[in-house]
Amino acid sequence: MLEIVILGRGGQGAQTAGNQLAQALFAKGYFVQTFSTYGGARRGTPVTSSLRVATRPIRQRCNITQASALLCFDDSLLDETFLRQGKDDALVVVNSARPSEALGGLGNRRIIPVDGKAVARRNNMGKVVNSALLGAFAACLGKPDLDTMCQIIEATAPVKKQENVAACREAFGLLTQASEGVG
Amino acid sequence: MNAPAFNENLHLLNGNHAVAWGVRLAKPDVAPLYPITPQTPILEKLIDFQSKNEFDAELLTPESEHSAMAAAIAASATGARVFTATSSQGLLLMHELLHYASGARTPMVLFNVNRTPGAPWGFWPDQIDSLSQRDTGWIQFYSENPQESLDTVIQAFRISEAANLPVMINHDAFYVSHSIEPVNLPSAEVVDGFLPRIPREFQLGDDSGRSLGAPLDQAGWNLTRQDMDVAMQGVERLTAAAGGDWAKLTGRPAAPLELYRCEDAEVVFVTMGSMCGNAREAVDRLRENGIAAGLLKVRLFRPLPAEALREALAGVPCAIVLDRNYSPGTGGVLHQELKAVLFGIETPPRLHGMLAGVGGVNVPVETIEKLAAEYRNAAPSAQPIWVE
Repeated sequence: MLEIVILGRGGQGAQTAGNQLAQALFAKGYFVQTFSTYGGARRGTPVTSSLRVATRPIRQRCNITQASALLCFDDSLLDETFLRQGKDDALVVVNSARPSEALGGLGNRRIIPVDGKAVARRNNMGKVVNSALLGAFAACLGKPDLDTMCQIIEATAPVKKQENVAACREAFGLLTQASEGVG
Repeated sequence: MNAPAFNENLHLLNGNHAVAWGVRLAKPDVAPLYPITPQTPILEKLIDFQSKNEFDAELLTPESEHSAMAAAIAASATGARVFTATSSQGLLLMHELLHYASGARTPMVLFNVNRTPGAPWGFWPDQIDSLSQRDTGWIQFYSENPQESLDTVIQAFRISEAANLPVMINHDAFYVSHSIEPVNLPSAEVVDGFLPRIPREFQLGDDSGRSLGAPLDQAGWNLTRQDMDVAMQGVERLTAAAGGDWAKLTGRPAAPLELYRCEDAEVVFVTMGSMCGNAREAVDRLRENGIAAGLLKVRLFRPLPAEALREALAGVPCAIVLDRNYSPGTGGVLHQELKAVLFGIETPPRLHGMLAGVGGVNVPVETIEKLAAEYRNAAPSAQPIWVE
């Protein structure tokens, strides 16, 4: 089973990204389960979305504490508490303009930065980074394929469908060479 | 577990939207509803269906949960099929009228999303809100996952209308209510065939000049409870029959109790709701490591299937109850119920009561595995144990 945790700030679209990733993996024939922390969440506070992916029905109903992959929407949130939700060798993709060495790691976790803000800006998406980050994350995970991810984004993005898809494609392309799949 | 097979009828839904789909398919006439976190997505989805002309119940949005329940009772008394939903504080505000609904023998289905009651304020999965309503005369189910919640909504209308008793179905906040996963949607034809309209024996508004709930003398009042007792005693059989028929139509069984790998088990976990999923995983891992573990899932909590529980646990060396609730002064409610049910049987298990997940704290599979290792040979304590 592949377990994923996405961390962002309320309003950044981490929860939406988790749902879109789940839909894309479901479309590829995986059983998925995704849930978010909730309640005290409001714009600007940390929000996580958790995702399980498996080839059989998923039974666990508890928090993910040993994720294979982590996606972080904001490098100011990249601390030990978050990184400890991943296994020692977890893949970590983080939205950051800084190079990998500047981000600081923990254990053998592979931290891969992607400048989501620059990708978003180039694609007329302003500060909305979720489609770019999904493209980057899918490239690093090795699933789902780019076309499936883009189909789901196109079907679910409320506005700027083509811009969202273009941001996803560009980030996927940027990260494809730099990564290897997990899970 | 009544998990769906992967096929083209699967849709990605969260637990609350699965409930709304079950309600849409069951076609109630009236649905009085008041929003509350984390139930609100049920109400939102029903309004969404209605806006698209896919759901034509009369949706009432009164000023409180107390008024919603009052409207539900009145509507049911006229013979209408009725649905409502709430959570935590909302259910507690309904308390007075929960007694009224069962006493008036008004069938209806209420979906409650289990959430911590204040104080302190919280939004977390904990079953004390509904367990503290166990004496109100409502049938109670606890659901493990979104698919089971949808299936149970449909079965519950049949059980409620056959027993003339209201049904409360419960699922845990977030772990079920907001968990998005594949859910199989039955067709409208299947549900229509499963859920025919049964004319009520009594109903208001049929020009026969009846009244409902008028004062009675002591003996008359007593008789109403004896009647209710007879009806309650039939619920386990109705549940088994509805679940059996549903399994024939959908392939998904739904019994009052479920025994998972309990044959030859030396230690059996007993629990309700979302915790069953983690316990199943723990059972499989324990068996891989040579410990014969099993799970006894209590799906029907009221009426408590007493004989079936005694039969399931007689001769089992050790049973560990996992309670995601805390009744101050006694401990876990399911632990308390099991102590009563098992009293006097010849070969009772050593029964351990674990307060696991109170306030919604995370209970990982590993924690459940460790409980088996630690307690399966230990002497039981009358006191509950707080699980860290």
